[in-house]
Amino acid sequence: MSQSELDRLEMLAEVDELATGAARWAERESAWEPAQRAAALLKRVLGRVESLRVRLEAPLVVATFGGTGTGKSSLVNALVGDDVAVSGRQRPTTRQPVLIAHPETELDLLGLPKDMCEVVRCEADLLRDTVFIDCPDPDTTDTDDASSNLERLRKILPYCDVLIYTSTQQKYRSARVVDELTEAATGCRLVFVQTHADLDEDIREDWRQHLSGRYEVPDVFFVDSLKALEEQRQGHRPTGDMGRLLDFLSRQLASSERVSVRRANVVDLLSAGLERCVKIVDDNWPKLHTLQQALSEQRESLRKKMATNLSRELMVSRNLWERRLLTAVTASWGFSPLSSVLRLYNGLGALIASFTLFRARNSAQMALLGAVQGYRWLEGRSQVETAKSSLERASALGIGDALLRESQLVIAGHVKSAELDPALAVPKNLREMRGQAGAVERDFLGDAAGRVDAIIDELALRNSGWFVRGMYELLFLSYVVFVLIRIGRNFFYDSFIEQQPILSTDFYIPATVFLVLWTGLLVTAFTHRLRGGLSRKIEELSHDLVNRQMDQSLFPDLQRTCDDAEAGRQRLHQLKERSTQLRRTIATSDGLGATKSPPSRERSPVGQEL
Amino acid sequence: MSSPLTQLAQPVHELHAAVRELEAAARPLEVPGLHGREWFELLSNKLVPQLSEEAFLIVAVVGGTNIGKTVVFNHIAGSRASSTSPLASGTKHPTCLVPVGFDETHDLEALFPDFTLQPAMDPEDALKESETHWLFWRTEESLPENLVVLDTPDIDSEARINWERADQIRRSADVLVAILTQQKYNDAAVKEFFRRAADEDKAVLIVFNQTQLPEDEEYWPQWVGTFCGETGLSPEHVYLAPYDRRAAEENRLQFFEREWPPIEADHASNGSPSNVDSESGRDLLADLSQLRFGEIKLRTLEGSLHQLLDQRAGLPSYLREIEQRSGEFQQATELLSAHELAEIDSWPEIPSRLLVSEVRQWWANQREGWTATVHGVYNTIGRGLVWPFKTVRAQIQGEATPPIEEYRRQEWSAILDAVEKVYSKLTWMSEIGNPLLRPRLESLLGGTSRAQLLKLLEKAHTEIDLEQELKALVSDQLETFRVDSPQTYEFVRRIDALAAAARPATSVVLFVTGFGPVGEAMAPMLAETAVQSMVHIAGDVAGGTVAAAAGETAISGTAATGAGYLEAKLRKLHVAFTAQRAAWLAGLLKEHLLGDLPEEMQHAAEIAQGPEANRVRELLQQVEDQLRQSHEQHPMATHVGSSEAS
Repeated sequence: MSQSELDRLEMLAEVDELATGAARWAERESAWEPAQRAAALLKRVLGRVESLRVRLEAPLVVATFGGTGTGKSSLVNALVGDDVAVSGRQRPTTRQPVLIAHPETELDLLGLPKDMCEVVRCEADLLRDTVFIDCPDPDTTDTDDASSNLERLRKILPYCDVLIYTSTQQKYRSARVVDELTEAATGCRLVFVQTHADLDEDIREDWRQHLSGRYEVPDVFFVDSLKALEEQRQGHRPTGDMGRLLDFLSRQLASSERVSVRRANVVDLLSAGLERCVKIVDDNWPKLHTLQQALSEQRESLRKKMATNLSRELMVSRNLWERRLLTAVTASWGFSPLSSVLRLYNGLGALIASFTLFRARNSAQMALLGAVQGYRWLEGRSQVETAKSSLERASALGIGDALLRESQLVIAGHVKSAELDPALAVPKNLREMRGQAGAVERDFLGDAAGRVDAIIDELALRNSGWFVRGMYELLFLSYVVFVLIRIGRNFFYDSFIEQQPILSTDFYIPATVFLVLWTGLLVTAFTHRLRGGLSRKIEELSHDLVNRQMDQSLFPDLQRTCDDAEAGRQRLHQLKERSTQLRRTIATSDGLGATKSPPSRERSPVGQEL
Repeated sequence: MSSPLTQLAQPVHELHAAVRELEAAARPLEVPGLHGREWFELLSNKLVPQLSEEAFLIVAVVGGTNIGKTVVFNHIAGSRASSTSPLASGTKHPTCLVPVGFDETHDLEALFPDFTLQPAMDPEDALKESETHWLFWRTEESLPENLVVLDTPDIDSEARINWERADQIRRSADVLVAILTQQKYNDAAVKEFFRRAADEDKAVLIVFNQTQLPEDEEYWPQWVGTFCGETGLSPEHVYLAPYDRRAAEENRLQFFEREWPPIEADHASNGSPSNVDSESGRDLLADLSQLRFGEIKLRTLEGSLHQLLDQRAGLPSYLREIEQRSGEFQQATELLSAHELAEIDSWPEIPSRLLVSEVRQWWANQREGWTATVHGVYNTIGRGLVWPFKTVRAQIQGEATPPIEEYRRQEWSAILDAVEKVYSKLTWMSEIGNPLLRPRLESLLGGTSRAQLLKLLEKAHTEIDLEQELKALVSDQLETFRVDSPQTYEFVRRIDALAAAARPATSVVLFVTGFGPVGEAMAPMLAETAVQSMVHIAGDVAGGTVAAAAGETAISGTAATGAGYLEAKLRKLHVAFTAQRAAWLAGLLKEHLLGDLPEEMQHAAEIAQGPEANRVRELLQQVEDQLRQSHEQHPMATHVGSSEAS
């Protein structure tokens, strides 16, 4: 297999891949209306593409296109060398499309609407590889009549692979023809011919300039059909540009070129279809984007609110911090005199705290209870909350009903203007939203609890080194030792030797009181120490939490739909990009004219003038 | 020669001004503007400038691109007045030739109001690409007086600005020299242009250019026949010009006149006399000068008048459009006002505790002398007793939300209720599909405007001083009570004095039964139900009095009625306060959500019957009447007009 053959195959494969990609995109489900519209459009385009692919190997269908009186029929006659189409001076001459085919050509394979056309058989060389259609004009019709020339032309054009665009000095800038060509040229290769060479002046330069805004114009022919027909009749090969045109056509439209011409048309169609889809989607994109922004803003404000509330509550719940810190420290210290005292205080504190906590509403402190414990508690509670039918829900972190309803109101507005399915995008009722809010909170608090644990561990570790511990143990023990010595001395020495009375409750009561006071002082001082740097830590925590990406949203379905639509849009852009590239490659490797890919149209000064 | 229509000049002028005013007034209706409407363009380009003028003819050479309009124009001008080019759509601006002295007796600017006039210096001027509608003019000695000749841009190329200019010239013109060719005589764009000319009753000369003689001799009658059949024109003269580029360039192209309608072949063979010399070229200018100026002028002016007065396409149709549109606005307004946007039925009641304390406060201010002192002292003691409980609770549970803030929160919830209702109603309305309401409502229903409204409401709601509102309301209502029923007031006051005497006992009783300091502390636990309920509050208001007087049977009966009275009074206060708050919200919603929309729609609905529209109708009637009168006075005008009317 030769290199060029491989190149060709590679390009064909790419075209196939593009078509498959487009088909897959058109099959996508989307809750976004513009995407649905674009998909419906693309499906229609793909239908036409499919019909092209079916007749990939069939003879090419070549049609004449041009204003009335520009010599379409004369040109066809000149090309096949016979009077197959009626030409005349009455306008318009041709009213019904004339289909000119070789007697051996199987017309059924082409799927042409034969009932619309008059079929003429002719044994011209040019017709061995092609079928010609002499079309009616697009410019004498000024009514929207189904039986008008324009309608007949529009019906036949989708079956054509190549258009021979004829024009004259008088008509080359006629608006109707130019406009109609814009519609017709997509999905067709083009050949440009100026006729009436016998009478008119050569305006090809000016014409080419006007055309080049929208079309690739490799060549423009300037022919005298009447002379050429005469020459053909006399058995000569036509001279001049007509000869050139004949050569060009038999070369470019040979059976070996069929596939590449049709593939190019496929790419053309796909590219035009995709371009329109991109336009539909892009035009409507800003509204969806606004919705996305609203969603993310809303998520952010939710996060901020939760983080602020959490940090505020964390700041005020001093007891809990101390308890957790003390627990952490005593756990790491194991058994020692001081840690026993700490445990004792901690236990008492826990008793009171848990008592107050369950009555209080500052539930975010649960995060402080520790990741596992708090999470479980919260889950139980949120079940109770969602079941509550009361209008007002006491939210752990300030996501109250009012906030939920505000969000819902605003987002519903965005959903409406973004043309999303409103039923799908917004939760049906407040209860559902509460459940969602609960999930958001759980997610948030679960994370916060983990971080709080980390902070506690860090603080406990930092503030309870061996030196600190030793000092506190020493201070604590020194009192105990002092009292013990005092008692010991009294018992062993004073009472035995000095015969003094043994210490009475008068001693033990104050001693105990002072013990309690002393340990109280120590515990307070120690917890104070433990809490050193806590405020800063909480601030950091709240800052972290604000900046954290949340997995959960109040509108998870909506979020998914938006993400989905965005992905679809990106995919569509990719497809369009690919089709444009392919089109460029094909355009440069082809001798036939075609519609230009859009970016060059925008650059062209002529395009702007039009 | 003065046209019989001269007397119409004044009312038509006024009509023109009135229509412009109507257009300005009708802007809220979003009816497409006047510019581009055929009748209006005729009014301002043909009727206003030409009705009062002396009879002169404007001749315009018109036709498709690149078929030799300019060649014909140069022939008429007798020189290369305008440049030609083998390329299409060369002429982009009209060129105008006026007879000597014409510009001194006529205001050219007023004659071509849509163009910027410029003396023609260079034949190339007309080929310049430009956004401005230029009209290049110069005097031409060979022109007979009262004949103005114009070369125009094409009517069919893709440079659509050319069409616009050609259309404007067509409206001003009296005589059109229609250039046709074999390729273009049946083109849709060409036919459309000349169909309009036929509607305006223009005089037309057909020049069939680029014919191949003698082969086309047999075809041209068909061509002209098709053309006239399609457009409804009947030409004054028909000429054929051969396809001879060199002759055209050298300005020596020949125009052969042909008889139209063509003489039947057998007639011709019969040798019936033809006044057309088909062999020698004609001088178009000479033929133009032979036209009956006055008659043609009258005819084209009338043609334009008929277009203006045409029921289907003229000014009446514009009026109908405005009426219809106004009607639509009327419907939309009715739709908008027929449905109330929301019924605010779940406004929270202000906690009676607040109301009561407000009432007490007011009452306290009414007390005089020793009762004031006694109550004051006991209240202070009561507060002192309650303080530690409050403080402890605040320590354990955090600061309790002040009841007024709690109420504010409930109110916000009610506001959201109302906003939700309003939006769902508006959504429903926009979905009903009134084409006028829909876009307006949809912009209101968008997320951004919703967010804005909520923000605004929230701000207004947070800023409002509820306590002040309450205080004002209470003092207002109670003041009315004191003034309206002084006896009851006096009675209550006496009871109050008794209560002051019995105050120590009352306080103890209250303390024990849970209305005192413990009650304060316990209140949240009791969930604001028992203690806060209406009757209990009423009881609390009279609490001191009733309890203190419990022993005295003499008063107890009256006291009970007193309590009942106060209860009713309180209810009334509740209702009044709720109504006040709901009205506040309704006001805000109307102002910020709907804004001026209802007023604007109402205003638009009234335009069709407004003074501007009535003035236009009046003038229209006047012009119609005068036109009829002039027909009666001038039978010739009637004759010309009747062909149009039929």
